[in-house]
This record gives sequence, C-alpha cells and structure tokens, in this order.
Amino acid sequence: MTYPDPDDPAHPARPSVRPFLQSGPLPAGGYRPAPADEQPPAAEQSSALRPFVITSGRTNGADPDIGMETQVTVTPGAGPVRLSPEMRAIVGLCFEPVSVAEISARLRLHLGVTRILVGDLRAAGQLDVHVLDNETPDPETIMRVIRGLRAIT
Amino acid sequence: MDYEQSPDRVVGTAAVGSGGHPKKAPVPVKIIVAGGFGVGKTTTVGAISEISPLTTEAEMTSASVGIDNPGQATMKTTTTIAMDFGVLTIDQTLKLYIFGTPGQSRFAFMWDDLIKGALGALVVVDTNRIDDCYPAVDYFERAGLPFVVGVNTFNGQMSYSLDEVRWALAIREDVPVLSFDARFRGSVRDALLVVLDQALDKAIRQKSSYS
Repeated sequence: MTYPDPDDPAHPARPSVRPFLQSGPLPAGGYRPAPADEQPPAAEQSSALRPFVITSGRTNGADPDIGMETQVTVTPGAGPVRLSPEMRAIVGLCFEPVSVAEISARLRLHLGVTRILVGDLRAAGQLDVHVLDNETPDPETIMRVIRGLRAIT
Repeated sequence: MDYEQSPDRVVGTAAVGSGGHPKKAPVPVKIIVAGGFGVGKTTTVGAISEISPLTTEAEMTSASVGIDNPGQATMKTTTTIAMDFGVLTIDQTLKLYIFGTPGQSRFAFMWDDLIKGALGALVVVDTNRIDDCYPAVDYFERAGLPFVVGVNTFNGQMSYSLDEVRWALAIREDVPVLSFDARFRGSVRDALLVVLDQALDKAIRQKSSYS
C-alpha cells in the first residue's frame, strides 16, 4: 500500500491550511511569509505539517498561566532577534495589549499553537505576558463589570 | 532575504519609539456562554460584543472511555472545535471577554482551561431540545462555577414554562432560570447581569470565608 508522499511537490498545499498567508490585510508589523530559504525544508513543501513544525513538534506543554483572555504586550526595548514568521506576526499584533484568543483568531493560528508560541516569545524576552496575581475575581472587579454593563444600552 | 533589515523590526522600533511604552494592559475577565448546537450562542456573543465575534480554533483532546471503541479501555481523541468570542471594554483597565463554547461533554478537557478564572456562565437553552444543555449544567455544577440558565425565546416562543425547564434540569433552587432573546443587546445584557450577581455572591462568600 502506498501513501502520497507529503513532500512531493506534485501535491500542492491545500489552500485552506493557512489562509492568512494568502489574503486579508497585513497586520501591524507588515507580516509577510518569509522566502523559502529561511524555512526548514519540511515546512517549505508540505503545509499539512505546519502546526507541528511551527511549535517544533510540541502539541501540548503550553504554560497554564497563559489563558485565552490573558493580555500580551511587546516587551519595551526588546532586542532584535531572529524569529519565525509566525512569531513575528504575533509580536506585530502586540503593540497594543491584546488577548491570546485575539492573536489566535486574527492570525488564524490554532489556540494551542498560539499559546505555545506566546510562551516561547515570553521566554525569549520579546513579549510581556500579563499574568493576573489573583486568579479568582474579587468582588470589587465584579462590581465594576456590573456597573459597566448597566451603563450600556 | 536581508532579514536584519526586514521592515518588521523597523516598524516595531518606530511604534515603540513614537508611542513610548505599550499601554498598560487591562485586566481581562470572562463569562462563558455554553449550550448545544444552534441554540444561539454566537448570536448572544455578537449581541453584546463591541466587535464582530472572532473565532478561534482549538485542538481539544479528550479521553473517551469505551464510547467510540468499546474494545479499548481508553482512547484519546483530538477534535478541533471553533469557539466564538467577543469583547466589551468596561473601561481602560477592565475588559470583559465572552466566550461561546460548544456544550458537548466530550469537550470537558477544554472547559477546564476555559473556566479557569471565569466569573460565571450563561447556559443557553432551546426548549425544543432541553437535553442539549445537560452536559454544560452538569459540568458547571461540579466545577462550582456560578451559572444561570437562559432560555432563548427566539420569536418570543417557548414550548415550556421556566418552571418546567427548571424541573427538567433538576437544578438547585438558587440557580436562576430566566428567558431572554439572544438577538437583543439589552436582553443579553440583563441575562449577563444575573450571571454577574451570582458571581458577586460567590466572590463575597469566598472573601468572607478567607478573612
């Protein structure tokens, strides 16, 4: 029994895999796909492998502190480093505080992949991840949400 | 490519240089909107959100025990689910996120991540398919997350009264059951305010038990 070789150029990448590469406005930071010579060969030829390639094979192990709503900003004065296209795209979105879920939605990266990459960027000193001191919401915060909601029409 | 001179860094430096440090990040809080397929979760999120609902895709792993493959003791299944969410800026330092999530029990793994730090949940119910929401009710009860059952009345029509829904769900007396219309912002706001009342009660109880 034979399987189609995923590296075979005769099988082009499915168009649905990474739509953000093909259309839509560029996010802040002017993200464009890097030329092929910057990418590992597997990534270059088979986008079916991408999610695993992007995270170097990790499918779990995201920092539990990094939740969907966790706010992320660029680290002020972070030095220039070599980053993957996905990581550059993430950094490009974080000049304003933005949640992990919004990063995932805007770049159309899986949430799990986004969490792992945000964790990597934090470890690399590129992003500040604003982990809350107090995980359980306190009454004062809830009161503020109630007042804010009551104010909308 | 002359990566070192790539425009990304230049743009980045310019943004930091002109704007100074990035703005202080707001505190995020979240409410979960859960329910079966097609009950109006996305409509609910969209009615209250200040942005068009965004969608994030999450790979979820759940251990299904003897359901899909009776021969095997456990089998891990991975499913990609789409979650719609919206945002409401309360003020510059506080943002409310509303996450709409599928209610099927096999996604319990995701819910653990999702409800961490959540204020509470609105379980959306269609009276024609009440049992679709059982997994969500079960889960929030067990997790101790404050929740409210909201019957989406669609066109003002309900097949059962709220008392009948409460009876069918067999929920505790202190869990509110209300009706709302997911299409209207004011109606969704009122339903969320009931969720927040529950959340406030719990937070005050917890605080007084600590001190």
